[in-house]
Amino acid sequence: MSDTQATPTPQRRAKLELLVRHDGDDGFDVHQVGSATAFVQSRPQRVAVESWELAEMPSRMAGQPSYILKNTVTDRFLLLTEPEKFLWEQMDGHTSLQEIATAYVLRYGAFDFDIIPVLMRKLQRAQLLTLTPTSRLRQALARNRRRPLVKAIETGFTALERINISSRNVQRVFSAMYRFGGFLLFTPAGVTVCLALAVAGLVAGVRLWREGGDIVAGFGGHALRAVLMVKLLFFATVAAHQIVHGLALVHYRRRVREFGFTFLHGFVPTFYVDVTDIFMTSRRARVVTAVSGAMVHLVLGSAWFIVALFSPLGSFTQAFAAASGMLQWQAFIVALYPFCFIEMDGYHVLVDVLGTPTLKQEAMSWFGSLVRRAAPRQFGRQEALWAGYVVLSTISVAAFIAFNVMLIVHASS
Amino acid sequence: MASPAQTLAFLREVRLFKNIAEPELGTLAATLRERNLKRGQVLVREGEAGEEMFVVLRGSMVISKAVTGRVEQVLARIGPGDFFGEMSLFDRSPRSATVQTDSDATVLVLDREAMRRLTEISPRAAAAFFHALVQVFIERLRASGDLVAEVTRWGLEATGLDMDAR
Repeated sequence: MSDTQATPTPQRRAKLELLVRHDGDDGFDVHQVGSATAFVQSRPQRVAVESWELAEMPSRMAGQPSYILKNTVTDRFLLLTEPEKFLWEQMDGHTSLQEIATAYVLRYGAFDFDIIPVLMRKLQRAQLLTLTPTSRLRQALARNRRRPLVKAIETGFTALERINISSRNVQRVFSAMYRFGGFLLFTPAGVTVCLALAVAGLVAGVRLWREGGDIVAGFGGHALRAVLMVKLLFFATVAAHQIVHGLALVHYRRRVREFGFTFLHGFVPTFYVDVTDIFMTSRRARVVTAVSGAMVHLVLGSAWFIVALFSPLGSFTQAFAAASGMLQWQAFIVALYPFCFIEMDGYHVLVDVLGTPTLKQEAMSWFGSLVRRAAPRQFGRQEALWAGYVVLSTISVAAFIAFNVMLIVHASS
Repeated sequence: MASPAQTLAFLREVRLFKNIAEPELGTLAATLRERNLKRGQVLVREGEAGEEMFVVLRGSMVISKAVTGRVEQVLARIGPGDFFGEMSLFDRSPRSATVQTDSDATVLVLDREAMRRLTEISPRAAAAFFHALVQVFIERLRASGDLVAEVTRWGLEATGLDMDAR
């Protein structure tokens, strides 16, 4: 937004006119009650005490702890700052927002007028007060549903979203998988084998790189069919990725609440596992759980490269294995590399370590205001972190695209 | 008390009677009763039976609907030339709202029998009356829709509910 743009006139706050009768006669007084007045006098009520849990997350970045607030009924989680936790504790249904704001000022010596409405929205979204959210894409579609095309897309997404093959009774299955061999993945021997495979895969990959052209020739005239098969096989390994996340949960004696298949936002087919219970444990457990899933791609990628290396040069098997290996390794990097604007496992590890759970959103918001020249002039530690995230992510995405272009050119030549 | 000429002159300015010809309006005016009210007096009480409609000649009145306990929501404030209670001319349902003066006031009362006579004597005058009444009904229906929206907005703002994010 440019500086010359006119500021929109704020919408008039709604008022209700109420007639209040006197006791014992027909006399009355008429009062106008503004919504703002009613808002500050409202008494927000959090859900019942048995419906939520609170766990502390120490932060190394801001010097203040963060908190995980969990809705135990819906399994929704929310990250709260220390002041937000203070406000949450006041929302007992008896204390008005005005009193809560006063208590906040007495405790912190200052008051941010947005903090309570923002927190209430967060709580509503997590169903810790009321209401449920939808994705931003669906919000955008809902806003434009008057257009027939948008309406059709929305209807299609709604239909796809209803496809959800899942079970909430999977803890026993995951426990059994863990008992019958899954536990090996979390032993020093298991980790050593994975790392050895990774090194062997790297060596194989480097040797294969030199013969890229000959290997791709193995697809012959069936390149499209081969690519589809590679993608399909890769998709199956996404399920393995999620299963290993679940095994990590069992390893840390937490509960796998759900496993299934759905269309994320109505159009992204994906397997998923509910690992939210891990938030109630240590940071180490959260990091191991996040990384273990991605390790599936490292191990499988290495195995494919080794298969490719020992397959006849120029054969379909070699081409297929090499392409699968490359896809798996790329998936490994994308999953663990935090600077790519995608909130994958690596990103969650990073924000956990930094103690800034909304790093991407804050960084993008700051960058947006910087572009609009609306950002404050100060450039402290926080701004440096945001700038670092945006710059690194931009460079990384550009490098990723360039690498893939180079890969195609190298294979084609 | 207003003279018949004053009443007739007043009725000519009331939207409901504007399209009624002079002789028929004169006949109708003769059937209207005048009623004086003190400040704070309840003329119509929500839930009670009624067979009359009223036209405000002088003063101002508040129309309200019970919400809870001693609290009622103010639906409208009306003054000279405005009318209310017309629903009772057509159905025998209880009054839908309470009407109370907030100053000394005078109203003209039109009952169901007078309405029936007008329809019999002058169908043209009755048609003009009903046409004007339907137009007012439509306006009030639209206003009710706006009021519902405004009350909903009030509720959202008052509770801090964020429906945009849904």
